[in-house]
Amino acid sequence: MLELIKPGTNINFVGKRHIWIGISIVAIIATFILFIVKGLNYGIDFTGGAEIQVHIPQNWDIGKLRDELESGGLKGVKVQQIGLPTASQFLIKAQGDEHSLNQVSKKVDAILLKDLKHGDFEIQRVDVVGPAAGSSLRMSGFLSMFYALLCILVYVTIRFDYRYSPGAVMALFHDTVITIGIFILTQKQFDLQILAALLALIGYSNNDTIIVYDRVRETMHQHPELNIEQAVNRAVNETLGRTILTSLCTFFTVFALWLLGGKVIEDFAFTLMVGIVVGAYSSIFIASSLVIAISHYHDRRALSLKKAGGGKKAISVRPEPKFE
Amino acid sequence: MSRSWWGKFLLLLCAIVGAFIYIFPTIANLDLEKTNFPFKRKINLGLDLQGGLYMVLGVDFNKVYRDVLERQTSSLKDRLHEKGIEITGIKAVPNPLSADDPRYSFSFDQSKRQDIYQMIKKEYWTMRLAGENEGSFEVALSQDYRKQVRERTLNQSIEVIRNRIDEFGVSEPAIASQGTDRVVVELPGVREIDRAKDLIGRTAKLEFKMVDDKSMSPAQLAALIAEIEKKHGITFKEGQKFSEYVRLLNEKGREKIPEGDEIAFQRPKLSDETGEMGRIPYLLKSKTEVTGDDLQDASVQFDPESRRPSVGFTLNPRGATLFDRLTGESVGKRLAIVLDNIVHSAPVIQGRIPGGHGQITLGRGDSEAMMKEASDLALVLRAGALPAQLEFLEQRVVGPSLGQDSIKKGAMASLVGSLAVFLFVTVYYQVSGLIAVFSLVLNVMFVLACLVGLEATLTLPGIAGIALTVGIAVDSNVVIYERIREELRHGKGPVVAVESGFQKAFRTILDANVTNAAAAVVLLTYGTGPIKGFAVSLLIGIVTTLFTAVFVCRLIFDIYLKYLENRTSRAISI
Repeated sequence: MLELIKPGTNINFVGKRHIWIGISIVAIIATFILFIVKGLNYGIDFTGGAEIQVHIPQNWDIGKLRDELESGGLKGVKVQQIGLPTASQFLIKAQGDEHSLNQVSKKVDAILLKDLKHGDFEIQRVDVVGPAAGSSLRMSGFLSMFYALLCILVYVTIRFDYRYSPGAVMALFHDTVITIGIFILTQKQFDLQILAALLALIGYSNNDTIIVYDRVRETMHQHPELNIEQAVNRAVNETLGRTILTSLCTFFTVFALWLLGGKVIEDFAFTLMVGIVVGAYSSIFIASSLVIAISHYHDRRALSLKKAGGGKKAISVRPEPKFE
Repeated sequence: MSRSWWGKFLLLLCAIVGAFIYIFPTIANLDLEKTNFPFKRKINLGLDLQGGLYMVLGVDFNKVYRDVLERQTSSLKDRLHEKGIEITGIKAVPNPLSADDPRYSFSFDQSKRQDIYQMIKKEYWTMRLAGENEGSFEVALSQDYRKQVRERTLNQSIEVIRNRIDEFGVSEPAIASQGTDRVVVELPGVREIDRAKDLIGRTAKLEFKMVDDKSMSPAQLAALIAEIEKKHGITFKEGQKFSEYVRLLNEKGREKIPEGDEIAFQRPKLSDETGEMGRIPYLLKSKTEVTGDDLQDASVQFDPESRRPSVGFTLNPRGATLFDRLTGESVGKRLAIVLDNIVHSAPVIQGRIPGGHGQITLGRGDSEAMMKEASDLALVLRAGALPAQLEFLEQRVVGPSLGQDSIKKGAMASLVGSLAVFLFVTVYYQVSGLIAVFSLVLNVMFVLACLVGLEATLTLPGIAGIALTVGIAVDSNVVIYERIREELRHGKGPVVAVESGFQKAFRTILDANVTNAAAAVVLLTYGTGPIKGFAVSLLIGIVTTLFTAVFVCRLIFDIYLKYLENRTSRAISI
């Protein structure tokens, strides 16, 4: 058997957990700071506006395109080159009220037609989002993320117990925030597609976390002599091979998409790529540490309640639900 | 064990054959009309793969509510008049609280208050009393009626849009309402985007109104307009909504404009190159004599002498009668043909027009453009006027080449990614890896077959979703295989190891896939367009993954184990 992680591996993840949590907290704070200082590069899905992707002849450079657009009456538009320099593809971005936005693509077409024939250029893609629609899309976008996290919180609480669910949700929150942080760093455009990728990540990344938790629960069940740190560490080590393997496989598919899938899907694939890596990290290092932290917290609470004469039993692992 | 084994195997075989039949037309790119293949359906491609136009249109209900309320109030006035009660000063009142709940107020003799109140309660369930002062009421539409009006307007708008698009000749257009006040229109493969947008967006309200030549001379009218503009700071700049400008003029200039009249403009094109338009003012009588509702037919007519196309129309019997009487009474006066609140032309009535036929001449331009304009105008007149104005909230256009490009690249990338995974899994898990690969391939087949079967749409993110599904499906396989390896390490025999591996892993796989599904469902609810396609692919992928990883894989393992039974070395290659 070919084995990536030899059985009996016992890397001490848990011992150094303060380091992992420390790194993550730093990363999250950095993201928040970046968010305030630099901000996300919101796409028109959220800000409203028009975006027109054109393909023009080789001999036109970005300056000429800008000049032509301005002299044609389109003031205040932003032009940027996308893709390889040889591809000669440009993105024209315009803002305005709904009425003028509606006319933008017509105007661009007319301006280009003045000097070029129909076959020389092509308007490949037009996206227009009116300002009203932009803000409602933004609202529903973030609402959906909130609901997804809520569902998962509820589900994990039902399948495991309340010691595990905060850990799961926090791990997901951690993944989402760090991925957004990378977006702020790279200033890639953040639009609805990326939001969709984030949502998919929330679902996928939770996979790993649940599998680790499953193992933790099983280990604690089978080896009640171990304390929680030892049990969690053992569980993480046992599932390490599996976590790395599947993350690797999913990474392959998404990497191929990023590399070969074309411009339209590139950033979407990028989000997934980043998310898979961060997700694997959080399942191995963060989710486990959080379970321990929360468990300690509950133990301390139970202890202090006992001291106060409450007589409440220390919380133990819930018996397995009757699925077998 | 043998019998159930055969049953399962047969079931799997049927599923595979079925899936293959479903996806064959798409993969072989059959021509659906000419082929003899029994299953005639291809996968639905999203707009981002086919190219085309996607629009979200908002319906402007406010004006509709206002018009409806005005008509109801008018009707109330008439009814009260029959009873000998007079109400005066009907006017629109702004509602500071909410823009889409218009108010009208009117005054009356306080002694008649009770009668008026009773009348409203008894006969006008459509209205509600919104406020009251000494001698005046403020009325608004009742909640129920407002809802009814909104639904009716929305449905009618969809109908009209559908009619217009039908004429346009787009294959498989999709028009549907979204929420309570939006319409989503998808036109796959359409090339003339601007023309399509114009056709859909035009209100196409046709009205015939008399021109008031008596009250003022053209010079006096021009002066009046200048006065109103100056007094209220109203100007019109190119790029603004013209209708807004006209509305403001009429609203602010109400005291100066003769009772029963309104200002309207003709907008001739001054120059073909700059597209600049002029403004010729008219004073029209507000009363609409004949409307487009009475239009029976409209068609393009070509005048060989002047070499210009025009739109000829025919009115239905009721309209024809009205038109007959109108033209008979008004010989020598001018009749304005008003389209979308803009005066199209105002010819002098030469004599009675009995048959209900007429002509709308067009402006100038090159003959090809004019033919297009004529046929488009005839089209919208035939299809009917939109009951409300539409706003373009969202538009996405994908050119055809980008769509093709996306398909090619997306499919290629998915293929390469999947192959990398297959290779890796086979090397790592050997024969069991091959089994996993086989079930993965089936998985993708099933996903595509489901997409065809459910008539769901495949979008570019959807292709990404399928690629992602491969990655996630491997997850399930790995969970099972690692379990099996563990059991083998603990010294269990191959059959037992496989059995307990699958068993123990099942709950974990279920949990993991359910959480994936939860996220996908949220995406499905809130997503639109391409993202919805992603959610659909993902959800279908989760279901098929559960099926293949648990049922199919297990079955093939059973076959493998049976095959091993007769070998000397019983060790499974995993």
